[in-house]
Amino acid sequence: MKKLYSVRGILTIFLVITVVFAVAMTWYKIAVWGFSFRPSAKSTVWTVDAHISFKPSGDPIEVSLSKPSAGVAYKILSEDTVAKGYEIIRDDKNNRILMKSKGRRNNQDLYYRIMLYDNEDSTGKVWDDKPAKVQKPQFENAQQAEMVNAIWALADAEEGSAAKRIIELLNEENLAPEVDAFLPVKKTPKIMADKIIWLLSTKGIAARIVRGVKLMEKKRAANADIMLEVYEGSKWQVYNIETGTMGLPKDFVVFQRGGVSLLDVSGGYSSEIKFSVVKSVISAFKMAGSRAKYENSGLFNYTIYDLPSLEQNTLKWLMIFPLGILLVVILRNVVGISTMGTFTPMLIAMSLVRTGFISGFICFSVIIALGLLIRTLLTRLNLLLVPRISAVVIFVIIIMQMLTVFGYRAEWKVIASAAFFPIIITAWIIERACITWEEEGVRNATKQIVNTLFVAVITYFVISSAYIRHIMFAFNEWNFVILALVMLLGTYTGYRLTELKRFAPLAGKK
Amino acid sequence: MQEWLKKYFELLSMPEKLRNCGVLGMNARNYFVISKHNKRSLYPLVDDKVQTKKLANSIDINTPHMIGVIEHQYEVKNLLQIVAGHDEFVIKPAHGSQGKGVLVIKHYENNEFVTTSGKKLTFNDVYQHISNLLSGLYSLGGQYDVALIEELVHFSDVFKSFSYQGIPDVRLIIYKGFPIMSMTRLATKESDGRANLHQGAVGVGLSMNSGKAVQAVLHNVPITHHPDTGVDLMTLQVPFWREHLMIGAQAYEMTGLGYLGADIVLDKERGPMMLELNARPGLAVQIANGRGLKEAIKNVDKYYPRGLTAEQRVDFVLNNHF
Repeated sequence: MKKLYSVRGILTIFLVITVVFAVAMTWYKIAVWGFSFRPSAKSTVWTVDAHISFKPSGDPIEVSLSKPSAGVAYKILSEDTVAKGYEIIRDDKNNRILMKSKGRRNNQDLYYRIMLYDNEDSTGKVWDDKPAKVQKPQFENAQQAEMVNAIWALADAEEGSAAKRIIELLNEENLAPEVDAFLPVKKTPKIMADKIIWLLSTKGIAARIVRGVKLMEKKRAANADIMLEVYEGSKWQVYNIETGTMGLPKDFVVFQRGGVSLLDVSGGYSSEIKFSVVKSVISAFKMAGSRAKYENSGLFNYTIYDLPSLEQNTLKWLMIFPLGILLVVILRNVVGISTMGTFTPMLIAMSLVRTGFISGFICFSVIIALGLLIRTLLTRLNLLLVPRISAVVIFVIIIMQMLTVFGYRAEWKVIASAAFFPIIITAWIIERACITWEEEGVRNATKQIVNTLFVAVITYFVISSAYIRHIMFAFNEWNFVILALVMLLGTYTGYRLTELKRFAPLAGKK
Repeated sequence: MQEWLKKYFELLSMPEKLRNCGVLGMNARNYFVISKHNKRSLYPLVDDKVQTKKLANSIDINTPHMIGVIEHQYEVKNLLQIVAGHDEFVIKPAHGSQGKGVLVIKHYENNEFVTTSGKKLTFNDVYQHISNLLSGLYSLGGQYDVALIEELVHFSDVFKSFSYQGIPDVRLIIYKGFPIMSMTRLATKESDGRANLHQGAVGVGLSMNSGKAVQAVLHNVPITHHPDTGVDLMTLQVPFWREHLMIGAQAYEMTGLGYLGADIVLDKERGPMMLELNARPGLAVQIANGRGLKEAIKNVDKYYPRGLTAEQRVDFVLNNHF
């Protein structure tokens, strides 16, 4: 008794440790690697291509591009440059990418590609250095000063922050005459942004342009999108220059902000930058891999997720074994169902996963039935045991061959899945069933087969669930918990469920 | 609905009830009793009937006389030479269990072998049976086996009216050398002459003091009369009870197994004989007796004296009324 309790104690501690470890690993995988419990979880990934083109002047070339920083609105999945012969320097401190080359002659096309995915916790508010005190512009003449005053007077009549009021005023459909006079005829976003900034500066409000890409499907060779950043209170606040809406939209990726330029090209002229956007949806699980790699999480390289997909698939298959084994242990030692062979039901269940339930079940029954028929005929021949069971094995192989060929020709998939069943196991089931039949009667033989199939079906439904398979693979640390549980079940000395019925007449007697 | 609930609660309270009655479950038997008291290295002594028989004979325990042993396939054809001089014999696998693979030949002449049930077999059939047996069809782990050929037991007529067919034997459960529980299994029409309770044989629990029937069970339900022969089962009393117990008690010293089952048959002329021993006896004996083994085991651990000889232990059991 005492021995049992100490063993159980140690195993319980082991179980607790494995649970703690598994929970911690699961948390880490979800939080850091972005794993999900759902096998079908999908993430949207935006691929932004920045296409830089310029004519080289013959001098050594140096291209400097401002790039998005991680953790703002989107997280970066991967970054890539296509610039043959260029030396690439990543300047993560200043969020720039430098491409250097000796002087060239032909037109240059360089690409910078960044893959981004949703960052749930983006807020649109960005902390930055406090701007220098804004120099109020000198008005060219009294007329201009008057106009500005008039515009501000109109703006003050509306509600909201100064920046919002000005933006709304400048974007009205029917512009006020004062505003109309102030604005040029050609109203590009850049010009509008400059005008707004100038107007705000007259009130001593710091503002600047933010360049980036608004993520939209099928955006091709578009100019950088422009937004406005206004220093309010103690932080930079982003405004849409057309609507005055405050806050960075979720679908806007900032490439450049503040005083720095978006693109600098030395050793070239007529430089141009165009953006293309492609939206794609990939499985969260796949993305997690690339993400962990991008973040250089060293741990990831020692997990199964970094293996080639062939090995991964094999392991994915193996990872559900422990759960099946746990199930067999429970069904045998706690429920008390006796089956033909300990792990036979699990192996049948594994085959059913590959063949599909209905077709596998029918096919297996056909094999067993044909096998039993042949085995009964073999009985009359009075063969020795080992040659006889060997003959059954060969017969099973021939049956499987015929069924597969026949099923394929008849385009009847139900039968074509025959080859997936474990041959030796099938042969042994036939042999055991036949012996049980002879020795203990049809009832016991049938009961044993039914029990075996019953456990196989239960196991099948557990291991065939896409959810469970995904979880056992993505969170394989739970296999340690299963190990601890199986060992702990090794100390279970209570009654089996079937014994409750078996010993029922004894209950209440003394 | 209420009926359903009632059944549910009954099931919920079942483990508690069984525990209170000291019923030993399969898991508890394996964990507390077998793995604790039966050293694995001693198993071959009881798993191999040839060894058991030799051991038993060396300390003068009665067993059916051995006629011969067939160890190899090429010896099978010598069967007739081996059994020469015996009109009747039994072929059994040395590593068999639960009576599997036992062939009883009552009479043979020329090419015809007659079994107890009157079935006629050819020499080829018998040859085939022995071949199967040798290749391990009936052995515990499927390993190669040996055919043991021994004399037929001439069953005492005492049980004749009690059993439909077959041979009732007495199963003793021996814990630390003390026989603690016993039963006899009677074949029925339904069990087809076999003595397995789950196949429909009658289990009769026997008093440890006298060998008298305590209660009888068929399919888990208590009965008083045999379903086929109609005999009052409560009149059953095993004669030579002390001798039965002696065989069981001596088996403990013989094997060193703390928990074992002994199957004993009663021969007309030679008295009680040990048929086989079992290192993992089943739990059906509890059902036959309507009594839990756990309690009996606890009593032995707590109250039974230690350091007794086999004879003293048997006397203790006979006079003890726990």
